[in-house]
Amino acid sequence: MGKIFSRMGDGSALWLTEDELRQELLAGTEDAADRGKISPLNEDELERLFEICASPQKVVSVEPGHEVVHSFDAGTLKFPLRGGVPVDRLGTVLAHERAFCSDTFEVGHCDYSFKPVKAIIAEERQSMEQIQLNATIPVYYGAMPNLGLYTKPDGPVDNWSELLPLGKIAEAREAQEEALELAVKDIYYVCEAMHEAGADGINLDTVGASGDADFMAALRAVEKLKSIYPEIHIEMGMAGEFVLGMHGGLEYDGIRLAGLYPHKQLQLAEKAGVDIFGPVINTKSNMSVPWNIARACTFVKACSEIAKIPIHPNAGMGVGGVPVSSTAPLDAISRASVALIEIGKADGL
Amino acid sequence: MSEKEIIASAIEAIIDGNEEKALAVARQAIELKLDLMAVLNSGFSEGIRQVGNLFERGEKFLPELIEAALIMEKVTDILNEAIMKEKATGIEKKGTMVIATVEGDVHDIGKGIVISMVKTQGVNVIDLGRDVSTDAIIAGALEHKADIIGTSALLTSTISQQKKLEDELRRRGLRERFKTIVGGAPVTQKFADKIGADAYAEDAAEAVVKVLELLERSKA
Repeated sequence: MGKIFSRMGDGSALWLTEDELRQELLAGTEDAADRGKISPLNEDELERLFEICASPQKVVSVEPGHEVVHSFDAGTLKFPLRGGVPVDRLGTVLAHERAFCSDTFEVGHCDYSFKPVKAIIAEERQSMEQIQLNATIPVYYGAMPNLGLYTKPDGPVDNWSELLPLGKIAEAREAQEEALELAVKDIYYVCEAMHEAGADGINLDTVGASGDADFMAALRAVEKLKSIYPEIHIEMGMAGEFVLGMHGGLEYDGIRLAGLYPHKQLQLAEKAGVDIFGPVINTKSNMSVPWNIARACTFVKACSEIAKIPIHPNAGMGVGGVPVSSTAPLDAISRASVALIEIGKADGL
Repeated sequence: MSEKEIIASAIEAIIDGNEEKALAVARQAIELKLDLMAVLNSGFSEGIRQVGNLFERGEKFLPELIEAALIMEKVTDILNEAIMKEKATGIEKKGTMVIATVEGDVHDIGKGIVISMVKTQGVNVIDLGRDVSTDAIIAGALEHKADIIGTSALLTSTISQQKKLEDELRRRGLRERFKTIVGGAPVTQKFADKIGADAYAEDAAEAVVKVLELLERSKA
């Protein structure tokens, strides 16, 4: 067998011998096991991963009957805004439903954060109603907690990114605690309005992007929403593989949030009332795609083994083993997707 | 207490974020007339490097990292004063680095961590901010007589600015005047080699090592 075509985590081409490929897979799973303090993949799983990564086909797929559903984040942003296709949100949803055969879709505002949506909630409700009248697939409304928007100059709270370098740690922590209270109110306000406007589900996306207080705000908002609307369907997608400790001392249900890896994040999301959990495993651009895929599968498997709710790992640019490049290469994204389903036992993507 | 034990205590104090202990260790090292540069470099600085590694693994968090850097500053002041008395000269700054997040990119958490870590190693670090144009970066480097220009880019759409900086330095005949180091999530060693940067660092801990190497090279 000649060398196997693969890629680096930045999308550049790479050719590996069989031995090298096996070593990459082993090193990837061991790295995840070491960091997450979880079990590495076993020999059978590594062998199957080898087959997936070594396939000479450009695109790989699962066997018929093993397909999984897809949920989306930043759904209506990707086609018209990032792709530059001049179509509105309704057109984007219908294109995904009728041309791309999407299982679900997500509507979001271009600011994609709960705080700015608050001011235009009436228009967002109207758009959701219009979309619901036309679409058949479940349509979510999604946005990010984005705690940074509550800091000066964008918001009323002191900016912890400025306080921390000055050594004002207590003040920085206080500012984050203040911001998270404001975020809980805004997330609740927007989600309640969109739920009543007919959204089939709510997607709290990129949770934890501003650190542990961001994650805390999302958990608390979910808890509050579920207590008043037990039937509301909530998906939570994370921002990174471990919760960044910008505060460092916040606890939910007695568990410190900073530094939690996906399987621990999942357990808190379940406690808060989340219905679908989207773990994120960062792609390392200077390691190979097989290394990244093995690593992602190890973390996702640790989630699937203990999950009581469906797991939809993020498999897109820069996460889930998919390279960090402007356009994700199809060979890599299909391998990552199959691996996350077959080895990670993901319920969806 | 032997020098070896003092060094081990210095590392431990920084990792634990124990200011009282760190200052006591520094004072003890002075009283015992130990090699203070060794205590600083192999003890306290090593502690900071280990904190950086723990942060990168999600086992230490930002406030702890900042706390450790602040303790390090206080320790350095004490040791510096003692060295000045002893040798009538202080711990010389190892060099000057300007650092910026490139134009079009406002992500600066990583840059802030790099600054905190590199400063602890006796490097004069000037933060030029975020979303900084190539012209402003070069002007900043000239103004501060920098040895190193560091740039960070988090987006695949902004890493081209790091290449633009290399090209612009070459175009203005300034390339040999500065060492350059690049970092950021989409940046790789391969990319750094391709654009002609002098160094690439994956994280803050590696940035410290690479910056010190670059300063050595620029003196050689």
